[in-house]
Amino acid sequence: MGIVLMAEGGLMGLCLVPALHFADGTALQIAACAALTIVMGFFLWYRYRRDTLIEDRRMSYLLVVLLWLVLSLFATLPFLATGSTLSFTTAWFEAMSGVTSTGATIFPHVRLLPSSVLLWRSMTQWFGGFGIVLLVLALSPRLGINKYSLYTAEASGADNTGKTAVRTVVTVRRTLSVYLALTVAFIIVLWISGMQLWDAVNLTFTNISSGGFSVNSDSIATITPLQQYILAGAMLLSGVNFTLLYLFFTLKWKQIRHKMDQLNFFLLLCILAVAFVVGTLHWHSGYGWSDAVRLGTVQTVSALTTTGSVVADSTLWWTPATFLLLMLAICGGMAGSTTGGMKVMRVLILLRNSRSIMRNRLHPRVVNPVRLNGGPVSSHITNNVMVIFMVFAMILMVGVMVLMLCGVNATEAIGAAVGCLTGYGPGLGASGGFGSYAHFSSAAMWFCSLLMLLGRLECMTVIVLFLPRFWRR
Amino acid sequence: MKHFNHRLVARLSGMLLLVMALAMVLPIVVSLHYADGAQYALAFSGLVFVALGLLLRNFIGRNASYELRERESFWITAIAWLVVPLAGALPYLFTGALGTFTDAAFESVSGFTTTGSSVIANPAAIPQGMLVWRSITQWIGGLGLILFIVAFLKRLSQGSLQLYSAEFSGTQQRKLHPHIAKSVSRMWRIYSLITLILVLLLVLAGNSVLDSFCLGMSTVSTGGFMPTQFGMSGYSEQTLNILTVFMFLSGVNVALLYNLFTFRWHQLRLNHEFVLYAGIFLFAALSCFVAFSVANGDFSIANLEFSLFHIASTISTCGFYTASPTVWPFWASVVTFLLILTGASAGSTGGGLKLRRLMTLSIYLRNYLTRMVHPNVVFAVKIDHKVVPGEYVNKIFGFVFLYICFIIGGAFVLTFTGSSIADAFCLAAANISNLGPSPLINSLGASLDYAALPGLAKWTLMILMLAGRLEIFALLAVVSPSYWKRR
Repeated sequence: MGIVLMAEGGLMGLCLVPALHFADGTALQIAACAALTIVMGFFLWYRYRRDTLIEDRRMSYLLVVLLWLVLSLFATLPFLATGSTLSFTTAWFEAMSGVTSTGATIFPHVRLLPSSVLLWRSMTQWFGGFGIVLLVLALSPRLGINKYSLYTAEASGADNTGKTAVRTVVTVRRTLSVYLALTVAFIIVLWISGMQLWDAVNLTFTNISSGGFSVNSDSIATITPLQQYILAGAMLLSGVNFTLLYLFFTLKWKQIRHKMDQLNFFLLLCILAVAFVVGTLHWHSGYGWSDAVRLGTVQTVSALTTTGSVVADSTLWWTPATFLLLMLAICGGMAGSTTGGMKVMRVLILLRNSRSIMRNRLHPRVVNPVRLNGGPVSSHITNNVMVIFMVFAMILMVGVMVLMLCGVNATEAIGAAVGCLTGYGPGLGASGGFGSYAHFSSAAMWFCSLLMLLGRLECMTVIVLFLPRFWRR
Repeated sequence: MKHFNHRLVARLSGMLLLVMALAMVLPIVVSLHYADGAQYALAFSGLVFVALGLLLRNFIGRNASYELRERESFWITAIAWLVVPLAGALPYLFTGALGTFTDAAFESVSGFTTTGSSVIANPAAIPQGMLVWRSITQWIGGLGLILFIVAFLKRLSQGSLQLYSAEFSGTQQRKLHPHIAKSVSRMWRIYSLITLILVLLLVLAGNSVLDSFCLGMSTVSTGGFMPTQFGMSGYSEQTLNILTVFMFLSGVNVALLYNLFTFRWHQLRLNHEFVLYAGIFLFAALSCFVAFSVANGDFSIANLEFSLFHIASTISTCGFYTASPTVWPFWASVVTFLLILTGASAGSTGGGLKLRRLMTLSIYLRNYLTRMVHPNVVFAVKIDHKVVPGEYVNKIFGFVFLYICFIIGGAFVLTFTGSSIADAFCLAAANISNLGPSPLINSLGASLDYAALPGLAKWTLMILMLAGRLEIFALLAVVSPSYWKRR
């Protein structure tokens, strides 16, 4: 954990660069925060460097949850130190929204923030979007953590593309290299397309991690259409399984061919949704073709990959389109990507399972296994996926109710619960579109942060901590 | 495809229509008694039923063999639930109670699926004969159309179990008698008996015979059509308390009620679902009572009675409502919404996901969480001390998934017709669980005025009601491609 903190401190140190560059007077505070984080990290690492062997599964669950909590705790420092926000609650909300790559913000006017804080927001998303656990695994294989159990805690359930790799560390290194390469590539492409380097870096950080923070108050609405399409590309890639991307870029296409089911479904879903949204925009909301295609495509991709970059206020669109975007956010991207939500893989398994149940009822003597990528999926996995789905749906429902209890109206509560739990970000009503969560009560904010954490760690990891048996010897 | 037994399908549908024609006698008598002018229209629709029924039964379905396979049983169920409600819509049209076919179909489907969503603005203004007909549709739909014929068809012995499970899909039923027709007829007897007792009690409580009859049928079938314009506000306290008890009872497994009436009391305690049902009911009612009392500032008996009535109406998915306390606390909304989804016991006339399924799932979830910590532990899901097989758990999961998909899909279509997202979800959930009207929907801001919904919304809700009543599989099976594939 110490190592992660030091890394965070290092990244915070990087924020010194823009602070000094733009000379906005926050350099000192940021430096203090970075130093504090590094010192704390070093202290923890030094104190506990001897007992780093984690064998127990329980410990790994606890570790993962604690990691995220501690990270967002330290991520609040820059917000507080620079005076961007005065209350701890709002800082915590923003930090959690960053490290879980949600993208829900409490700043109505982002432009007014010091540039170091802006970069820090983007950085937390970039950092968090990829999953800190993966970073830990890649950077310190000698830590001796039971990698497999830690890895399942992070990306629990259906991620069999990643898990089948025997050497997890290698998988993680590959993934990381893809991530870095993509980040650099998109920064350069955006730069070439005429964007300022500052914007390009920030937007790439937040979109490749499917986060969705922006340096402008109107998110990505005012950049040129070409740049919007480029960002949509970044989002789309962030929704694809990184192992697939690695295989794709290293030209090992033969291996991909057996793993296409999820990708096909993802793309199909994407195309259908885009077609629908573009259709409603053109025929119902009266946009011209070019606008409809641009806004529809970018916003739909942003929803499906739970990025939450806003190109147009979708809450003003026709209700079915808004509704569809919410559902897409729940569906989410592919397993093994940076996106949140249920994950396409699970939805696919759920659908195929219902089909198989149906067939089984019609023809009771025929064996109908659920198939994926050409092979049968064991009923064990199917049931686990089902459990996660149930829990997800339950949390969503309870979330809406608790938010309403905190004084949020029904529509907005649905939007906020979906937005936070799936990591999409913008909700409905005042918190949707270009709006912010600034008007939420502090109880609602704390609860939203909890939802973000639950969504990012896919519910089960957090819930298991509440099990009495978990704490029993 | 092997020979598909169309004739049997036609024969059974025809018989159902004849049964409906028989049921039409009562409204006609009532109509004559009150001289409401609807007798000719009712008699005419009765004749249509007879003609259609004879055509299907004796002409198309003559010499039908009584061999039945899984596929046909789904088809029969689906056809029966399509033909009967549509035919049931005719009287509304003929008597002029409802103007358009969409409205009439909506009212009829809502009746047969025991939902109770009504498009009739003022039920007191339509002919009395129609009121009776409306209640009868609910009563027939309560136990299920198919069960109606299974009880009478001794010759169906082979196929009746399949029919039974096609309509009552998904839940493991303990049969009352090894012979399916016998156990079904026992179910009908207990159902009729309870209705009779309720009607008598209501008459004794000082209601008119017509009202007692309508209310009795609506309650026992958990339908929820109300004979007056303003919900149940006009009825005496006594009446409402009687209804509370019977709404609670109608959410209990019918097989269990049979045990109750034959004095096998120990069965009640052994049945964990019943214990859970009663527990949830009491907890919800008492917590709502406290919430109402605190919100309105008075701990009165009236509040307690209201809470009991409202919770009984919701958990059994009956859907009666009375004038609610002026302040509607948030807690009551939460409880109500959750109860709409959970619904009543499996094997009862109520709708919703059914407690038995949710019990299975929560046990499985607990096991799953424990396995996360101790990966090598092996568990079995047990209910009533019996192991539920894993394949069956998988089916329940599939059902819940599809149920949620239907709610989402239904809500999606509803947003096309101008509902807001929150309203759409409320409407979809209330109708797929066959609840119908509920003060909750009002308190959330949506309108209970089903009559004002556009046609598309009405048809969507009808599909949701049918999906909820047939527990999805029977409905989905006949439209799935693999159903029609040659094998």
